[in-house]
Amino acid sequence: MGGIKQICGKELARVFKDKKMIFSVFILPVLIMVGIMTLVNNLSKNAEKDVETHHSIVYVQNAPAGFEDFLKADDKECEILTVEDRTSVEDMIRGGDADLLIEFPEGFMDAVTDYHAGDAVPQIKTYYNPSEDYSRAAYNTISTGVLETYREMLLSQRVDDMAGLTVFTVNSDNPDMVIQDEEKAGGKVLGMMLPYFVTILLFAGAMGIGTDMVAGEKERGTMASLLVSPIKRSSIVLGKVFALMIISGVSSVVYVGAMVAFMPQMMGGLSGVDGLNMTLNTKQIIMLALLLIAIAFLYSALIVLVSVFAKTVKEASSYIMPVYMLVLVLGITTMFTTKTPQEWVYAIPIYNTSLTLQGILTQEITMMQYGMTLGVTLVLGAILIGVIAKAFESEKVMAI
Amino acid sequence: MIEIKNLTKIYKLNKKQMKESKTTNPIKTAVNDLSLNAKPGEIYGLLGPNGAGKTTTLRCISTIIKPTKGEIYVGGHEVQKEPEKVREKMGFLTGDIKLDPQFSVDYMFDFFGRLHQIPEDQLKARKEELFTYFGIQDFSHKKIKELSTGMAQKAAIAVCLVHDPEIVIFDEPTNGLDVVTARSVTDYLKKLRDEGKLVIISTHVMSEAEKICDRIGIIVDGCKVAEGNLEQLLHETDTEDLEDAFFELYRNIKGGN
Repeated sequence: MGGIKQICGKELARVFKDKKMIFSVFILPVLIMVGIMTLVNNLSKNAEKDVETHHSIVYVQNAPAGFEDFLKADDKECEILTVEDRTSVEDMIRGGDADLLIEFPEGFMDAVTDYHAGDAVPQIKTYYNPSEDYSRAAYNTISTGVLETYREMLLSQRVDDMAGLTVFTVNSDNPDMVIQDEEKAGGKVLGMMLPYFVTILLFAGAMGIGTDMVAGEKERGTMASLLVSPIKRSSIVLGKVFALMIISGVSSVVYVGAMVAFMPQMMGGLSGVDGLNMTLNTKQIIMLALLLIAIAFLYSALIVLVSVFAKTVKEASSYIMPVYMLVLVLGITTMFTTKTPQEWVYAIPIYNTSLTLQGILTQEITMMQYGMTLGVTLVLGAILIGVIAKAFESEKVMAI
Repeated sequence: MIEIKNLTKIYKLNKKQMKESKTTNPIKTAVNDLSLNAKPGEIYGLLGPNGAGKTTTLRCISTIIKPTKGEIYVGGHEVQKEPEKVREKMGFLTGDIKLDPQFSVDYMFDFFGRLHQIPEDQLKARKEELFTYFGIQDFSHKKIKELSTGMAQKAAIAVCLVHDPEIVIFDEPTNGLDVVTARSVTDYLKKLRDEGKLVIISTHVMSEAEKICDRIGIIVDGCKVAEGNLEQLLHETDTEDLEDAFFELYRNIKGGN
């Protein structure tokens, strides 16, 4: 199969010997990804900080004596105002100018202190605007926090032994409540996200260059010069597919490296990432590496196949989008899979790779399932190569 | 040598192509039962108007497209059975075949040389020889996209000859070239002929065919209507130059004045 090395080398040179290509294929996406994620993270942190430092504007109606002092003691920065015109306060909450309205019933304190069994229990009503961050924060802090404490304080005045009212507590003093295998738990989180990222990185990294690889050559009229050289059509196909595999592999490594390096900047505030155990054992690394190579092979063959049947790069780009969406959907299905999949599911191309990636990380994959996935992926890739080579023989498809 | 036996090439047109060709017939016979023999040490010219089937014939010989009927032997190898062997022996250039614009002339020459598995020292010597002959050294480092039409054509010719092929097939070799460059190309074709190689060209430029072709095959509507050296064609048509001979034959086929 002479010529594969030369064709592969030329396709790699097209990318790696061109500074603009290196920048646009490997560096620019990383800069954009890191930039956007950092910006989003900073904006989210700033918004959180802004809500935390905001001085809540709370209106109270019929507040009993001492309540305002109680509220002030809990939230020193809180601005407490008395309702004079109920409608205007509601308008202010609706418009975001006030955060919370606490309405006590008239004679609240008398109803509490003179309470006898069978009397109606007085009700405190709170009003807020959930579409406003400040209002929602004030509601969460005061309605479910401060008023709960206030209730307990009033209750302690009614009964001498507060502990007598508590039948049991749940986990009030149990720091060791979580029992889990840290590696497996880390793998579970990674296993949810990795198939998604692998799909994006491997497929998207190869998509732009892959569509140009054949359709672009046809469009520029340079394909014919390869077709009159003394090498087999299959060598041309394999050379191009291998080059695409290498390019998508390198771009994936660059993207993953950048994600790991810039993780603190990009996802500093994301819950669930902190303290995640991401260590992989040797067996997992080998299994992952082999599977990723097979996936890159399949995706590259898929992209080249689409490119072969297009006359122009523009046409190839429009053909590849539905394929990308399909691969993407199959990639993210593992995020919503809870049941243990049956053996035959591992024979479904692309979907099986997502399941297997997840299985490797959670260490729940059997060698049978792994072997089936690897085999199906490689066989399908080889079939696609055969179809592409056949298409290369067709005058109609090659538009020559 | 090249031996073509009863070559027929039929295209099936789609609706768009039928509309473009202003025809209601979905079948287009580009080459019809064409036979010819060309031997080493000669320049054989395929002469005909646009759309006569010259390029299609050359494309069939070069294995880019497959004949619908008939057989083609190149150096003893049948084009459909042993296409790689045929391509090894042949240098083929047409206006439709372009070099990758993103690479330099140097890179493309080396790339195709390696595809032909030429040893590095021989490749270097061959490059020196061809680049000197066509005056390519000055711009060999430049990317193809940065070259003028003439420079790019020279580069394409040099690349197509990288493996010193026994058979050289050029479709409209001087098309788009200035007089000086065109002369250097035709001189080189003569040099190849003198070295004992077989050169086949297609052209519709009568003066070019008259000057450089040892034998000429005239094609009209996919059929070979005459073949021979210049004297034979003039004698057969009772004319004084190739252009008159061509029109005489053309009128006989098409009718009219």
